[in-house]
Amino acid sequence: MNRKFVMAGVVVLFLALPSLAAITAQHVDPIPTKESFVPEDMIKARERAAIVPELVTEVREESLYQRRKTLLEKGVGIQDVKHTFMLLDSPIIKAEHEDFYEPVRFMHGKHISVVDGDCSKCHHLRPTDPELSETVACSACHQKAFDPERPERIGLKAAYHIQCMTCHEEMKKGPVDCLGCHSRNAPDHEELVKLRPDPEPWDVTAECLRCHEKQGEDMLRSAHWLWRGPSPYTVERTKEVMSGKATNAVNNF
Amino acid sequence: MNMTRRVFLSGLGASALAGAAGPAQAWESKAPDDPLGCLVDLARCTGCRKCEQACNNVNDLPEPDTLFTDLRLLDVKRRPDAGAYTVVNRYFPGKVDDENQLIPVHVKVQCMHCQDPACASACITGALSKKDNGTVHYDVSKCIGCRYCMVACPFQIPAYEYHKTVTPKVMKCTFCFDRLEEGKKPGCAEICPVEAITFGKRSMLLELARRRIRNDPGRYVDHIYGEKEAGGTSWLYVSPVPFHQLGFIDVPDFPMPRLSESIHKAVYSYLWAPVALFGMLYGVKSYNDRRDQKQAGQGGAQ
Repeated sequence: MNRKFVMAGVVVLFLALPSLAAITAQHVDPIPTKESFVPEDMIKARERAAIVPELVTEVREESLYQRRKTLLEKGVGIQDVKHTFMLLDSPIIKAEHEDFYEPVRFMHGKHISVVDGDCSKCHHLRPTDPELSETVACSACHQKAFDPERPERIGLKAAYHIQCMTCHEEMKKGPVDCLGCHSRNAPDHEELVKLRPDPEPWDVTAECLRCHEKQGEDMLRSAHWLWRGPSPYTVERTKEVMSGKATNAVNNF
Repeated sequence: MNMTRRVFLSGLGASALAGAAGPAQAWESKAPDDPLGCLVDLARCTGCRKCEQACNNVNDLPEPDTLFTDLRLLDVKRRPDAGAYTVVNRYFPGKVDDENQLIPVHVKVQCMHCQDPACASACITGALSKKDNGTVHYDVSKCIGCRYCMVACPFQIPAYEYHKTVTPKVMKCTFCFDRLEEGKKPGCAEICPVEAITFGKRSMLLELARRRIRNDPGRYVDHIYGEKEAGGTSWLYVSPVPFHQLGFIDVPDFPMPRLSESIHKAVYSYLWAPVALFGMLYGVKSYNDRRDQKQAGQGGAQ
């Protein structure tokens, strides 16, 4: 009787093992790393950004209204958008000594919708050469700054900034500060951070503060640190007892 | 006695003639023909302080107390000092936008690199000199630390490292002299995100400035600061509001060294001034001698 039970148990176990293995296998999926994640549109955008078009030397003089009219008559609009996403990372504007910021990720498709398909908002002039497109890339005309042959034509970096910021200000939409469009180009912290193999939480905080002491002090003056209950507006936590970082919460470094 | 006076007077007359010949020699400008320069467009500047940061980087200046990303510093009216060759200040001259908010105007301040610099004229050792490429160059090996340049500068730019006891230097914008020699652009002009600083030949910049004013007269006042100020400067400014509202110093339109050097030359030509001085002293002495002799003679008669 006992042996039968044991046998049955063994059989059941053998039957169950593969499924158990399957379940555990699902759970130990490899943690996605930077390398394993391949955003295809980003890679394509990066490839497109590396292309430097041939410089357009002659442009047709047109006022903004004429330009808008021309584009409307020719039917150039939202349907002609080839790429909805662009990375504004041309080799023309690679800074010589230091890159403070990451390149801007520009949503071309979204912007053309916001301006109701009016391409002339940004494509303000066109090349004289009829072979070229009505809406050439910014970098076709704007390249290196301070070209003595074309002093009135600003470089690509200034063209981007003036075009974006002026319009954002006029429309009262979109960021006009540096970090609104760019993310900060922080150095790779893998080499900088030095932690012992199995660090305690406070070891990590101490390591951050090694360089970011000022940010740490700022944090101590912020609501995140000084917060204490009660919390009258927190749903289901109204009239809660006094608690918070400044009083009784743990992890007070 | 009479003979002596005649000799003295004739000598005085001769030296006066020599003195008159001095100022007749016209003062000549030593400005380079078409130097490099920068045009600062105050209508474009957004006050991001990146030029200050780039200047600090390329010139290895000391790290400032406040981060370059802290824009509150714009409202403190700063001047270039021993730690910063250039600063950006924010002004609110009174124009308002459609929401009745004051529109700021940002002003970058640095050495103007005059065509005929007063600092170089005042410098007694030639440590400061105007180079052909437009820079007013400072050579620390010649400097004796007299700081005449600081007194002479009409734009109040040169600063001094008072905190250094052994090796103090005069500190002012170098126009990135070494970078220009290498064919590069000044640090501030290169980093400016909106090309508020345009770098190029001065003649081209003047033409560009005139074109900007002509094409958009509502955006600019009809004045290029630095075209005529102090006889012309390598750095030029165009602005949306009159310059006196933005802390710009009202400087006469002639080169600063013209007056001082003319006086200088007039006084020291043919040594007439020392001759006249000592001649006059001799005259006073001989007059006193004669008077004393006369008194002594009268005393003897009594």
